[in-house]
Amino acid sequence: MGGEKFDIKRILLSKLDRKLTLLFIIVALVAPSLAVYYFYMLAVSALPETMIANQSNLLQTAAAMIIILIAVNAGVIGFFVSRSITKPIKELYNATQEVEKGNFNVRTDIRTCDELEELGHAFNRTTVSLGKMAEERKEIDSAKSEFLSITSHELRSPMTPMKAQLQMLQDEYFGKLTNAQKDSLNIVIRNADRLDKIIVDFLEISRIEAARLKFVFKEIDVGEIIQETVDLMKGSAKEKNVKLKVNMGKLPIIEVDSDRVSQVLRNLIDNAIKFSKDKNTIEIAAEAEKDHILLSVKDYGCGLNPENQMRVFEPFYQVEAASCRTHGGTGLGLAICRGIVESQKGRIWVESTSGKGCTFYFTIPMKPIIDIEPIKVLFSQKDSIERKLKDAFQTALGPLGIGEFSELKNKNALWRDDILEHIDSLTGQYILTPKQGGEFKHTINTIFGEEKEVINKKPDTAAGSGEGKVIK
Amino acid sequence: MKTILVVDDEPDIRESVKMILETRGYNVLTAIDGDDCLKKLKEGNPDLILLDIMMSGTPVSEVVKHIKDVKIAFMSVVRISEARKKGLCTQDNIIDFIQKPFDVGDLIGRVELILGE
Repeated sequence: MGGEKFDIKRILLSKLDRKLTLLFIIVALVAPSLAVYYFYMLAVSALPETMIANQSNLLQTAAAMIIILIAVNAGVIGFFVSRSITKPIKELYNATQEVEKGNFNVRTDIRTCDELEELGHAFNRTTVSLGKMAEERKEIDSAKSEFLSITSHELRSPMTPMKAQLQMLQDEYFGKLTNAQKDSLNIVIRNADRLDKIIVDFLEISRIEAARLKFVFKEIDVGEIIQETVDLMKGSAKEKNVKLKVNMGKLPIIEVDSDRVSQVLRNLIDNAIKFSKDKNTIEIAAEAEKDHILLSVKDYGCGLNPENQMRVFEPFYQVEAASCRTHGGTGLGLAICRGIVESQKGRIWVESTSGKGCTFYFTIPMKPIIDIEPIKVLFSQKDSIERKLKDAFQTALGPLGIGEFSELKNKNALWRDDILEHIDSLTGQYILTPKQGGEFKHTINTIFGEEKEVINKKPDTAAGSGEGKVIK
Repeated sequence: MKTILVVDDEPDIRESVKMILETRGYNVLTAIDGDDCLKKLKEGNPDLILLDIMMSGTPVSEVVKHIKDVKIAFMSVVRISEARKKGLCTQDNIIDFIQKPFDVGDLIGRVELILGE
């Protein structure tokens, strides 16, 4: 019974024109009804009884007719008046919807000669300036893209004659070399190669940051890509006397960019080989999960301490341990991997025990992401994340929070899942109420970027693709 | 003795490739861009053209249309995906893609392979 009542209320009040029309009718009914009643009573008291008796039918009909006529009139007038208000408002609403979608060419055409018309003009002026800003943005983006491709050409061109001449020198095209000359040349060539690699990697990162990574998606068996990549790496694995083992579950055929998957996998295997000791094995595994495929590369090398684990994806960060000195790396490989994986909304992370080895994990979505967003890989997330976590702990637990945070940090348990588990145990011990626990968990998830606010993600192609529309 | 025409807008690259190929006994002509390439084509009679893919002047896609019966190998500093390669192989005489910077041995190997030696 209560539910029904609520619905009627909603039906009547949710539309402005209904409200207004109803108001008009009610107002229009009250005054005349009172008046008619008054005059009726007056007539009854002033005129002789017989007259009233004869005319009572007429009087009643007249009274009823007047009230009805007034009500109908009021209703009709009310309807038109309220429509003159709601129509421009609706027009503005529709125009706003268009702007939300990214179409800045929309204009309103309100001619009610009142404040609503002024509002319409103001709206039009606003969309004009928004449109200009969007244009500017596009120009800047295309200039950036142009710059990037020119730079890539210009930066790499000198490498060609440089390397060619160095090689010829080394191959003794120009005469025999002394040992000292050979050593000197080796150093130069090694560094020329290193420079070239850094340039290539740097350009990749620029592309990642500008969301200019190109992906080519094709339906391929992921298992095949993995096997091919592993076969490619067998040579270098053999050089360090390391074995590559592949362990795959049943993998589906999905749309994926095989070059990119291979690139990430190659990088991880390359790192694993560098970190592995003689006669070690490297295990490459892949498993299909609900909406992504999880790949992992496990090595039994010297592992990473907690600080390195956090920072290993930073550009140019290289693990300093003398026994695991990496040679020939640019320090950008993992940053690039992260850029590639996260461009496809995947996750990449490392789990490791110092001294026992590392496992690098990354995910590939089952459905590829076509609209690539820029990914920030060029600053250390570690410090800012730690700071946010510390704040979250303090907010949720007060002074106790700082102690809890330090404890977790020392135990290397500042990973999302560990923290969430810890919160659950705190809730279990009644230190937090379930509600507080839930809120705390939500904050942690936001810090780790799991939950994102989606404020209208539409591709840039939509903006400006709508022709100048006047919304009616 | 086979003749190779090297087309690249970078003088150092022309020079370096010329040096490498001449030590292998090839006769090497050079051109500075697409138009010059077509000119040299008429003068000399190359068996192979090494063509840089990004040069100013007439775009390579146009230049290539005028060369029908000489083998062409594209050279590029920018990495070319497999898909893009297919798009560029518009003619039968386009038969290889050489990445710059190249390995000297690799370059020689490819050239010899193309010229069937």
